[in-house]
Amino acid sequence: MTMDTGQFVDTPPPDGQRATPAKKGAAERLRDFARAAFSTNLSSSTSRMRLVALLFLALYGVIGGRLVFLGFKPDPANLRRAAAEAVAAARPDLLDRNGEILATDVKTMSVFAEPRRLIDKDEATELLTAALPQVDAHELRDRLASKKGFVWVKREVTPHQRDEVFHLGLPGVGLIAENKRVYPNGPIGAHVLGFANIDNVGIAGMEKFIDGQGLADLHGAGFSMTPEELSPITLSLDIKATHALRDELAKGVEHFKALAGASAIMDVNTGEVIAMASLPDYDPNNPPDIHDVNIINRLNVGVYEMGSTFKALTVAMALDSGKVNLNSRFDAHTALTSGRFRIHDYHPQNRALTVPEVFTYSSNVGVARMALGQGVEKHKAFLRKMGQLTRMRTELPESAAPIVPQNWGELNTMTIAFGHGLAVAPLQAMMAVAALMNGGYLITPTFVKRSEEEAKKDAPIVIKPETSEAMRYLMRLNAEKGTAKKVDIAGYFVGGKTGTAEKVIHGHYSKTRLFTTFMAVAPADKPKYLFMTLMDEPQGLPETGGFATAAYNSGSVTGKIIERVGPLLGLPPRFEPPTQPFPILARLGFGFVNTPATGGGGH
Amino acid sequence: MLRFLNIAAILALVGSAIYAYSIKYQTSYRAEQIVKTKLEIKAEHDAIAVLRAEWSFMTRPERVQQLADRYLDLQPLAVDKIVTARALPERAPHVDAIAAKIDMLGLGVASTPAADPGAAPTTPKTSVATQTKGTGHQR
Repeated sequence: MTMDTGQFVDTPPPDGQRATPAKKGAAERLRDFARAAFSTNLSSSTSRMRLVALLFLALYGVIGGRLVFLGFKPDPANLRRAAAEAVAAARPDLLDRNGEILATDVKTMSVFAEPRRLIDKDEATELLTAALPQVDAHELRDRLASKKGFVWVKREVTPHQRDEVFHLGLPGVGLIAENKRVYPNGPIGAHVLGFANIDNVGIAGMEKFIDGQGLADLHGAGFSMTPEELSPITLSLDIKATHALRDELAKGVEHFKALAGASAIMDVNTGEVIAMASLPDYDPNNPPDIHDVNIINRLNVGVYEMGSTFKALTVAMALDSGKVNLNSRFDAHTALTSGRFRIHDYHPQNRALTVPEVFTYSSNVGVARMALGQGVEKHKAFLRKMGQLTRMRTELPESAAPIVPQNWGELNTMTIAFGHGLAVAPLQAMMAVAALMNGGYLITPTFVKRSEEEAKKDAPIVIKPETSEAMRYLMRLNAEKGTAKKVDIAGYFVGGKTGTAEKVIHGHYSKTRLFTTFMAVAPADKPKYLFMTLMDEPQGLPETGGFATAAYNSGSVTGKIIERVGPLLGLPPRFEPPTQPFPILARLGFGFVNTPATGGGGH
Repeated sequence: MLRFLNIAAILALVGSAIYAYSIKYQTSYRAEQIVKTKLEIKAEHDAIAVLRAEWSFMTRPERVQQLADRYLDLQPLAVDKIVTARALPERAPHVDAIAAKIDMLGLGVASTPAADPGAAPTTPKTSVATQTKGTGHQR
């Protein structure tokens, strides 16, 4: 055998055999290769191992390269992020002061699509519009044709529609749970709550305020909060009182055929707004057009000339200056003339009036003289101190700046003394009157629950305690025998002040189109709540003798509100009026203030 | 001996493998359970949120007022509808009407046998026995 091979290698094959060795050589080479590959000869194992190692290296290289490629490729995880960004974020619950729900989130299902994964877009459009009849087919087709990774098909579908879409079984069409904001109480407290849009972003009111506190930023940065992580926010509103207030106000607005009305209850010691309504209002579950001026919050966004309720500020200024006391007299013999203007009294007495008489007869001439006695600068400074000349800011994002006369002269001081010529937001006026009642603390109204200590901590003291007590006496006296008799609800020791302003129509004050306000405090000896009602153009009715002044409309509504809301707010009715309601005044020598007044008919 | 050790080692190996597998299986089962329970909790939370919203919708003052107006005879609270505790009449001395009736019928002694503590030990035993027997008979 070896000899043969040796021969074969050594000697070239003969010419005649040349055709066959080529064939034979191929078979032999195969045999040689097989022998070499499967031989266990140790001499060739090193190179063979190297070859195998090389092969494995190549294999791992391919796998590694593929991994890197997959890592860089945009994957379906992207969809999840897109969905998380698109879905409505969870919002904290809003509760009333007693823990009743004012706004909460519920889960709803929304249908989305991934256009890139859709196989047949026309078929998908057809099936989806069959299941969701509200969706416009053309628009949906356009949306599905886009190159986006994520598009909404329909937000907030019903459970039935959800099942139908699910059973369509379309690849690239999915369902996702979203948060939907609901307001179980409908329009009650709507102006305070504001509303959130379909993406659960606050658009108005407290909802917008919450977003401003960083919730929206968190969501934008990709931190979605679950409802469990969000602690509810307790507002100052009392939902039962708010309903009662809105109900009485709605009856009043309808009864007196007013264009609009608004009402609020404020805790004078904490500045909390306990109840508030502004009619016409809206249902936050069906968000209105935000730019509709008819549904604005008249307490916060509207500015009005407050009329005679402003006299309380003028009288307080005069008493606080020390130049005037309760026994001071002011000449109201005749109308007051300044240039071509004449200031009249609505209930002219044509004699000198004491301070309590000026207040209870609501004498324009009296308060104008009082303000003139202080001078323009002092009057301006006092109103600035009371926060009536600058824009008041609360938690609500909506606010309005007061309209202050450009050139404030003596005539301005005279008219502003009785509430004409300076337009402020009604809530701003409430803040000032609350300061007159609560002992002199000017507390900015709030819509979030807070304690008295918290409220008074930073509140500036604007008048002396005795001035505050004198103002409470005047308010009480006015309810006993003055213009505010409508609110003298037995048992609550109410004090009140009417205000009737003539509306400016085409640059002139109109005698027939009135804006009436009413402020009442209860109880007047230890003030707790300040009530305010305003009405825009209430009409005179036969039973009011055709009068449309504040006492008849805003006043009677406030009386009904106090009567109805008093028990709800835990104001216990008292059988006996307090024997010493005004102790500081009595010590100062005005003992007569503690004797209940009666009669005083005619005004 | 060596064979026994081998068999024991193999058995231990198989046993530990089975144990390890069962542990692994249980772990993944538990993990699945946790995920499932978490989903259920979430579903319950959502359901609670819906129920709370529904509750406050059903008890909203507007609706309660309508129902109260229709079905209840309530009136607004006014001062003349409240009285103080002092205005209530004094509590009358306690009269036990039943005891008075029993006394009147002359059954007072029978109904209260233990009223006279001195009487109990002097009561002859026999008479008590006959009495009980007698009553038992009557029944």
